[in-house]
Amino acid sequence: MLTFLALTSVVLLGIVPEQSQAIAIYTGWERHALVGSDIRLSCSFFSWRWTSEDVTFSWTYRPDGSRDSISIFHYTGGAAYVDNKGPFRDRLEFVGNPGRRDGSILLKNLELNDNGTFTCDAKNPPDIVGRPSSVRLLVFEKVPIQAGVITGAIIGVVLGLLVLIVVIYYLMRFLVARRVFSLSVSKHGKKKKEGSQQRQGPVPPADPSKIKV
Amino acid sequence: MLILLAAIFVLHIACIIILLTATIDNAWWVITAGNAPTDIWARWIFVNNSWHSVDLPSQYPESYLQAVQASSVLACIFSIIGIFVFVAQLFTLPKGQRFLVSGVFQFLACLCIMIAASIYTDRFHTDEQNLGSYGHCFILAWIAFALTFISSIIYFVLRKKTAE
Repeated sequence: MLTFLALTSVVLLGIVPEQSQAIAIYTGWERHALVGSDIRLSCSFFSWRWTSEDVTFSWTYRPDGSRDSISIFHYTGGAAYVDNKGPFRDRLEFVGNPGRRDGSILLKNLELNDNGTFTCDAKNPPDIVGRPSSVRLLVFEKVPIQAGVITGAIIGVVLGLLVLIVVIYYLMRFLVARRVFSLSVSKHGKKKKEGSQQRQGPVPPADPSKIKV
Repeated sequence: MLILLAAIFVLHIACIIILLTATIDNAWWVITAGNAPTDIWARWIFVNNSWHSVDLPSQYPESYLQAVQASSVLACIFSIIGIFVFVAQLFTLPKGQRFLVSGVFQFLACLCIMIAASIYTDRFHTDEQNLGSYGHCFILAWIAFALTFISSIIYFVLRKKTAE
């Protein structure tokens, strides 16, 4: 079984790179942040080729409601070039590691105007065919709780209380039964000693395991 | 005896079905303009010849909406647990005993759906009475309250006659 798996994986690895040279770029889907906070927009890629020295990352920004994108970051030839004229001047920092295929950027001191879509495009020559990936940034005055969380919390708490009550009930029953059992055993033991001196046997105590509540 | 048992079982199943419909179907209120059913999870609007599901308006009192959602879901859960408990008790209860635990679960379900329907009646659409009317889920919620109440009373009163 193991050898079969190994063989198929080797075959697949041999076949697939010849056919799909596309690079796959991964960013988040949507990010929520508070006004004034910092946020790290992550971007990484998957490529069948080794990470080349000419790997490039570029980020573009399109504000909400606008059709134009503006380029805000570019990494090429081992150097990172951040926005020094646009809406993110002095607020953008490169925190990625291109050697590890990480092209993340850090946006500092967010404003409400920063709502928009950030697109990351990475190229790993000769693997250059790929689709850029976008992450949507939403900046809030106050981070809202998602709609279903409170409802789910109420349901969970009530059911949890119910389970707790049932467990406690059965625990009490178990403890009480054990106490009654141990009491009756000690009583039975004493009576047996007295009974062996007398001819008449004592009335045996009720079996606690048969008591039904 | 068997017929009575079957009738009680069918009543409980009917309660579950009614509770589930009332919780899931999103038609506690119908807006006359556009015949748009709404509540408690989303709203349906008819735009461009097709129905679209949209979020409820943010003017809804949020905490009350979540209370209605939570308690109607809890009513369904309690009723469903109750039917399993009833079947279990049918086979394990000693002769002459009452179906107390099943009755308790049905009563909890009754309580929860009553809470949901009451909050909805009192807090929602209070000044929109001429803009819409109550939908079928709302009516089913109140019917479910009555049926679960009757069902729980029956469980509290019923005694196990034959050993099964």
